[in-house]
Amino acid sequence: MLLLAGCKGDSLPKARVLPDQDNPHTQNDECENVSGDPGRVTLHRLNRAEYDATVRDLLGDTTRPARDFPTDDHGYGFDNNADVLSLSPLLLEKYATAAEKLVETAWAQGQLRTCALDAINPEPCARDIVSRFARRAWRRPVTSEEVDRLLRALTLAKQQGDTPEAGVKLALRTVLVSPHFLFRVEKDPEPTSATPRRLDDFELASRLSYFLWSSMPDEPLLQAAEQGKLRTPAELEAQMHRMLADPKAQALVSNFAGQWLFTRALDSAEPDPALYGAFNEKLREAMRQETELVFQEFITGDHKLRDLIDAPFTFVNDALATHYGLPPPGSGTPRRVDLSGHPERQGIFGHGSLLTVTSNSDRTSPVQRGVWVLEQLLCSAPPPPPPNVEGLPPPVNPHMTMKERMALHRSLPQCQGCHRMMDPLGLSLENYDPIGRWRLNEVSGAPVDATGDLPDGTVLNGSVDMRRFIKEDPKLPSCFTEHLLTYALGRGMAEADHCAVREIAATAEASGGRLSDYILAIVLSDHFTSRRGDPEAQSP
Amino acid sequence: MSKKLSLSRRTLLRGAGALMALPLLERMVPGTARAAEALPTARRLAVFYVPNGIHMQKWTPTGTGATWELTPSLQPLAPVKSDVLVISGLANDSGRPDGDGHHAAGTAALLSCTKAFKTEGTDFHAGISMDQVIANHLAQQKATRYPSLELGNDAGRGIGNCDSGYACPYANNISWAGPRTPMAKEARPKAVFDRLFAGVDPGTTQAQIEKRRAYGLSIIDFVREDATTLQKQLGATDRRKLDEYFTSVRDLEKQMEALGQQGPTCGSQVSPSEDEDPRTKTKAMMDLIVLAFQCDLTRVATFMLANARSNKVYGFLGLSGGHHAYSHHQYVQSNYDALARIDRWEVEQYAYLVRRLKESQDGPGASLLDSSLVYFTSEVEDGNAHIHRNLPVLLAGKGGGAVGTDRHLRAPGMPIANLYISMMRAMGVPNVTTFGADGTGELAGFGG
Repeated sequence: MLLLAGCKGDSLPKARVLPDQDNPHTQNDECENVSGDPGRVTLHRLNRAEYDATVRDLLGDTTRPARDFPTDDHGYGFDNNADVLSLSPLLLEKYATAAEKLVETAWAQGQLRTCALDAINPEPCARDIVSRFARRAWRRPVTSEEVDRLLRALTLAKQQGDTPEAGVKLALRTVLVSPHFLFRVEKDPEPTSATPRRLDDFELASRLSYFLWSSMPDEPLLQAAEQGKLRTPAELEAQMHRMLADPKAQALVSNFAGQWLFTRALDSAEPDPALYGAFNEKLREAMRQETELVFQEFITGDHKLRDLIDAPFTFVNDALATHYGLPPPGSGTPRRVDLSGHPERQGIFGHGSLLTVTSNSDRTSPVQRGVWVLEQLLCSAPPPPPPNVEGLPPPVNPHMTMKERMALHRSLPQCQGCHRMMDPLGLSLENYDPIGRWRLNEVSGAPVDATGDLPDGTVLNGSVDMRRFIKEDPKLPSCFTEHLLTYALGRGMAEADHCAVREIAATAEASGGRLSDYILAIVLSDHFTSRRGDPEAQSP
Repeated sequence: MSKKLSLSRRTLLRGAGALMALPLLERMVPGTARAAEALPTARRLAVFYVPNGIHMQKWTPTGTGATWELTPSLQPLAPVKSDVLVISGLANDSGRPDGDGHHAAGTAALLSCTKAFKTEGTDFHAGISMDQVIANHLAQQKATRYPSLELGNDAGRGIGNCDSGYACPYANNISWAGPRTPMAKEARPKAVFDRLFAGVDPGTTQAQIEKRRAYGLSIIDFVREDATTLQKQLGATDRRKLDEYFTSVRDLEKQMEALGQQGPTCGSQVSPSEDEDPRTKTKAMMDLIVLAFQCDLTRVATFMLANARSNKVYGFLGLSGGHHAYSHHQYVQSNYDALARIDRWEVEQYAYLVRRLKESQDGPGASLLDSSLVYFTSEVEDGNAHIHRNLPVLLAGKGGGAVGTDRHLRAPGMPIANLYISMMRAMGVPNVTTFGADGTGELAGFGG
């Protein structure tokens, strides 16, 4: 986190935008003379989502073989973090097994057989099949030496008394177990040089396609790379718009937004059935779809990114509409509905998904909700609580409001510093119960008190007030950039990336502040198009 | 001798048909009285990890030595009490984090007794875990097809932080092949089953196996060459990532070489369901460990009931809060009660594994449990204060006669690494005298 902070006054959310402070448009002094260090991304193993999407696009296989792979760890909020994507013996064994199955299936379907293998002289056709396949699988041109080596499989098959076909299949399996397939390779011609170098065309094509699609480059992108076109910003921009309009950009919804907005955690949400029996599997799915469809519209639509905070529309089916107290749209599948008359449902804080995953099973958690806002929207994460004080004790008397319970809880001096930041943000959402329904009373019967008192004396009166406050916060653009860049590069942001993040945010806001403006600003940035060697690396 | 015995076991199992229903064989002779040479030489290790610590007031037996009684949380062990050693007082000081992050740091140090370096990025590193030291030793002897199995119920939530600035691998893995190489675990019983048993056609001929091996090894040769060439064009951090690839390639190579050395099957089994209910899933995982031991596919298995800091809601125990939330009990009785219920359920699952091993034959007159060490622990003692001392520890099985069971051993303040040294020696690892940050020698009283 850039603003990893103790809970001091200077990192508190501000109620008013002070001129020339924390504002990416005006505060550039410290970044003016910084020569851009693009940093370096660690050799990136395909994660499970990327593996599945890649074999789908490479072989037409939609069986999602990576479901059988061990779970990927995540770092800095995303499971495409190259540093923590390790490769265990178990995983390599799974890759080898999957490769065999994938090749057998695709071969049987005839997709890979672009020519007929002659029994006497199979090599020309084998060479054709193998080199085409390796180029796509390795996402770059292959050398004739590489193909020669792969074709040794034909000799082996012959020795084993097998057909040339068996040899070609073995070569294709080999392609899928090679590090050139399993990793996104970006070579360092000078491994210890700190001087940034521009990525080669194919490395850049892969960065782009794994960012937007979680998958391999398609033919138009590969050809653009082959023709050297990706070196012009205009071509990169055109490719980006083309790719965002493709259904494969759904990956950005499920993989980026799913983790940024915590939608993925819905899978494991377990609201207490005794108290919140209204929650069921259909509702879980409808909530997920709501957030995904709203974000999807932001990818291709003309909305400013900060409008996510209070977007006056959403997608609900009848069940979810009823759950929210909205008029049912008359459909079992989600429909886009206008929320002008329902301010309490506008924006992501009205989404059942977010409200549920930031709650405990049996009660709301203003702390979790507050921390979510601080971490995911403002990048001002508070440090974790000191040992021995975590958790909210049961109410002293059963009619206390959540706000009163929390006030009691944070009376300890060591808690106050952080809780006076987190609590008011979370408390302003108290009108939403642990499964996102609107409520006026807590379970105890006590009336909801959805006011939050910020450290500077500002009082947030409910969610609408809080939204307005967050939407104005100057940290929002750079924080969003930080998350999106973390995802785009597959590495965590450090202090050294501070200026680049600010610059990208400023560029994106200046060009309109839409999600596509942010994506473009990232794609054109040095961070995305360059890398450097590893001068100081040493084994600890 | 080992090989002969395992063959005869397999023959017997084929005859028995359904493996899951092997009859309980009476032990002919009490453990300590049995002559050593009559025991099979194979040793097995199963580790059962539970997150968030234990409510010790309902756990620790009052008696010491052979005069001990089961406490409320240990009650499920009644049918196997004579096979259990309870150890109190052990400490794992390496589990203490820098600042916060007790669950991640405690879990990374759980079996490694090495302090995890606090980071979310490139430079995460801890240490080799004791199960992997054992697995490496057994792999040298080419004992089994799989050096070890890593299992767990949790696939992970996949969002947010894992624990206070500690990278997720620390919180999600107890088994580490090396400082930078967590052994990823499998979280789907069906995938484990398929890996162990599916695709193995009992009718495969030796020639077919030979061909399979030749093809597999050709892939390995090729990709190793690729990686070697690639290595020269990468920076130091990337080369370390590629080292993981090399290590994995070596392991796969060993597996390929071992192909066909062992019988491909050991009877008929039923593939487990995809049920995510922790009761069904845990039982399926335990059955898989027993099955893998019975078929001698591996001799080392670790299992994580949930990932570190799990906030699982145990609704079927009548609980509505999450496990981690309860573990911050704040000295409130209702939280203690909830924890005790969870603890007891956890011990029930462990007891099931112990019982299944006891019911499984391992050579004439011996059970799998006799040759096994079945270890239970957590990353902290008390989840409220995050104490890394007086850890909850159970050890079941005789480890081939090395362990003196049916006792409550008190070892206040002794490093848990010393227990691991004793366990590694019981498993046949030669010349272990130190381990992790503070292991100095065998744990006094381990053998009785």
